[in-house]
Amino acid sequence: MKHHLKSLAIGTALVTATTSVGCSGDDSSTGPLGDVDALIILQRPKRNDGGDIFTYTSYLPGARLVKLEPPTADGVKTTLCCDQAGAEFANIDISGYDISFDAKQIVFSGKLAADQTYGLFLLTIDTGEVVQIPTDPGRDYTSPIFLPGDKIMFTTSSVVEEGAPQHRDEYERRVTLQLGRINLDGTGEELGPRNLSHRTFPTLTSDGRVMFTNWDHIGPMNAGHLLFVDQDMQNLREAFGKEGTGASNSTLKPREIAPGRFVGIATSRDRTLQAGALIDIRLGEVATDDKGNVVANRRMSEATASYRDLTPDVPRGREPSAETVGRYYDAFPLNAKDKPDLLVSWADGPVESGVLGAAGLAANFGVYLYDTERQQRRPILDDPEMWDVFPRPLKTRSAPPITGSAVDTSLGGKTLIGAMNVYQSTLKEFEPGSIWGVRVTEGFSSEEGFPEMFGSTMFEGMATLGVAKVRADGSWLATVPANVPVRVQAVDTFGMSLFSEPVWFSGRPGESRVCGGCHEDRAASQVIDPGITDAAAFGPDDLKGSVPREMRKSDVFTRDAIVGVAWDKAIQPIFDAKCVSCHDGVPGPANPSYTVTDRDGNSITWTFDLRGDRLPAEWAELGGESAFTRSYLSMAGLDMEAVDEGDLMITGDYKVYLNPEDARSSIAIKLLNPVQQWPTQDPSVRAFPTTPHMQGRGTDLTPDEFYALILAADNGVSFFARENNPGDQSYTD
Amino acid sequence: MKNIGTQLAAVALVLATAVGPAYAGKGGSAGLIRSAIQSGSVDAIIAEIERAESLMCGECVDLVAGLLDDERYEVREVAAWWFAKRPALKDAMAQQFVVELASGDTIQTRNAADFLGRTKTYTALPALRVAIGRQLGAEAKVAIVRAVELMGHKDGVPVLTTALGDADATVRAAAVKAWREIRGQRTAAPIVPLLADPDAKVRAHAATVVGALREQSGRAQLEVIVTSDADPFARRNAAWALGRLGQAASREALTRATSDESGLVRMVAKAALASLR
Repeated sequence: MKHHLKSLAIGTALVTATTSVGCSGDDSSTGPLGDVDALIILQRPKRNDGGDIFTYTSYLPGARLVKLEPPTADGVKTTLCCDQAGAEFANIDISGYDISFDAKQIVFSGKLAADQTYGLFLLTIDTGEVVQIPTDPGRDYTSPIFLPGDKIMFTTSSVVEEGAPQHRDEYERRVTLQLGRINLDGTGEELGPRNLSHRTFPTLTSDGRVMFTNWDHIGPMNAGHLLFVDQDMQNLREAFGKEGTGASNSTLKPREIAPGRFVGIATSRDRTLQAGALIDIRLGEVATDDKGNVVANRRMSEATASYRDLTPDVPRGREPSAETVGRYYDAFPLNAKDKPDLLVSWADGPVESGVLGAAGLAANFGVYLYDTERQQRRPILDDPEMWDVFPRPLKTRSAPPITGSAVDTSLGGKTLIGAMNVYQSTLKEFEPGSIWGVRVTEGFSSEEGFPEMFGSTMFEGMATLGVAKVRADGSWLATVPANVPVRVQAVDTFGMSLFSEPVWFSGRPGESRVCGGCHEDRAASQVIDPGITDAAAFGPDDLKGSVPREMRKSDVFTRDAIVGVAWDKAIQPIFDAKCVSCHDGVPGPANPSYTVTDRDGNSITWTFDLRGDRLPAEWAELGGESAFTRSYLSMAGLDMEAVDEGDLMITGDYKVYLNPEDARSSIAIKLLNPVQQWPTQDPSVRAFPTTPHMQGRGTDLTPDEFYALILAADNGVSFFARENNPGDQSYTD
Repeated sequence: MKNIGTQLAAVALVLATAVGPAYAGKGGSAGLIRSAIQSGSVDAIIAEIERAESLMCGECVDLVAGLLDDERYEVREVAAWWFAKRPALKDAMAQQFVVELASGDTIQTRNAADFLGRTKTYTALPALRVAIGRQLGAEAKVAIVRAVELMGHKDGVPVLTTALGDADATVRAAAVKAWREIRGQRTAAPIVPLLADPDAKVRAHAATVVGALREQSGRAQLEVIVTSDADPFARRNAAWALGRLGQAASREALTRATSDESGLVRMVAKAALASLR
């Protein structure tokens, strides 16, 4: 098999070589590269360990930056870096670079040895001098781009919150990358607010904003979407991928074709070596100017964005690509025609890490000129031992305007969030007057010492910062900790979520992030009554904006004090006091049973049980974690990914009693029929017109207990929170 | 030397829990895992193990358990990650690995530590504290330190303290590097003596940690490094660290470093000068 695949690769290379002849003889003065004297190309030794789209630590010595002049297959290749830079650079690998606006310098991310991290370096093209830009030597810095005003933006594993561990991605197990920037002279490093997972591949746009790929992971959502941010890392906005407009699980390496229009890679999260199909993304209404350039910057919004598939045969998922189809690593637009010409990196054959690895092969990315109208590639450079990637014209370009927002020093280092009218939403239609407040929840991941799974439901760690009151005009404001990923939920007077915003977002210290609504129409203007909003008049609710991370947890679990819903501490005592006398795991009407059967006919049976004992071993496998309890499994249900993957069959009375992020529809909540929480806790006011489950059966839950149970559901039905973090316990002899 | 007993225990447990072969979900299967293992490719193995993230099958357990002995750390790591998703199995294997921390040879101890670290088995911390004092090869000690680094737990600090005094430079370097990854770590005072370590990599890592934790007692030695250390990485890291400390007394040393022969050092020193009080 190995031999066969290698033969195929060689055969394809021969076909490619045959079709390449025309390129070197092209009249380069009139083609898409007519105004380009030279290309810069990054050459990295071939590898196969970067399957995941967020992998950034791959290292193989021997990378170089080369200049190809003229930009044709018979052009002269000159190594710019780093063979003359000194012995320290002899084993460098380079992962990304950018050319300065005046085309005189290159900033790149390089790793000098296996025990070093990726750092930032500045190459002066004329002299060949290379200097390192000062960054934390113990952290990685990648994907640098020049910003106007003599700054560089990058992604880094360094953490903005001194002393706190950086977030870890649950799936690919590595420390996440976040955005940062630094002055060109190495001073003034600033780290941006954090996402709960990775941020990667920033690119500068003509309106001065930076677009990048944001890994959105909240509960079942796991996808890489495009977002905008200003150069000062404020004013985060969605761009492309959500709201049903995406082309694939992940979109990455965007490059602007024209205002509002981008070419990007559409692919799966893993196994694809960060390569995929090419798509032409149009964020707004499409228009053509008198020169034939197509732009899409009018009424830009994620909800109305569209895309055009430029490489229809290339898979957008993780499946192996076919011979002669291959996958694209990156693309750079050379013009803004309706069907633009692109500089691309492309590799033939099954660009999929598992298949390649098994065959002992590595993808061979080469540089091509791609005519998207005819869907034809013409080779420019292909070193069979190297990944030839990120081809860029070496020429001057205009710097866009500097973008940024004022920092409000009166916020005292906190971030202000809010909305002018929470009822304005494209994702949910709210009944007028139905929203009592907006609950703000902080997110974290296993980096604080937790096991792999917070619960069987795939949700991250959460800490409720509080509920900001929605005022009469629908406005709300709150101050929250800066740099921390938060999620917002509109809640009713019973404390139950009416809608959860399906993303984490964060703000810088002193940043004001006030939206029009609750995911309002991004292309529309929000009109408010004359004057300021009610929330502005009242002032923001302070939702632990100044409370240090380690203090953002609860000692008691009352409505106003509860932060994390640690199952064994916040929920189990309720069950012990009021439920286990009936729901004790003894089969019967109060304790229904279900059976799980595998393909071989082996089966095990579960009976509803609200006691706090740890799960038996065989159920821990299906429940997600051995620390989980009988009551947790009974309420949260099975790890359905394990059920699906195991091809297991469930028979009998299987129910999930608490739905993640949806207390209102949860069986347990509906049965118990919670009481009013706001404006005051009132046991005489119930959420549903049904008879409460406890009536005639025992002592009803207190309002605080109702709220804890509701919060358990609305925070994703996790078992772990900071209050029961195994990583905070003592492990002395 | 394979951790045979642990693997057998795992297989026995999965058979007892009566879950047979399976092929559904993301398309993973025991056959694909076996093929990847037979290919010998780290990338193929990782790809198939990740694909089988939630796959329940006894044959898979046998195959993946075998990978916990692999010579390549990346393979052991992904195998341990796979077990971390199977809590009962993980717990059973962790018990066996804790035993091997106390009695295994260098390779067995290395494999045990890597499993316990990757699965964040905090209950193994007492055993790790004992194991770092055993007569073991550097490979095992580096793995013990790596386990503590992955756990990031303060009760692993005694492991690092012992490792800082190890005769092997790779163990000392690993311990220095792990020091700042302990959650809530506030001091780098125990790292300061390592700024004078005979090994350049240890000095370089020590400079980073002293700077990251702003350990002011390291200033004088950092100034010695930035002006006279033969290793450019150590000089670079010392320059960065002095900028973090921000003491005006470092001005002369950093000024000299701005004309360092290495491109790694010059701009770092200039930027550090701008950070001085």
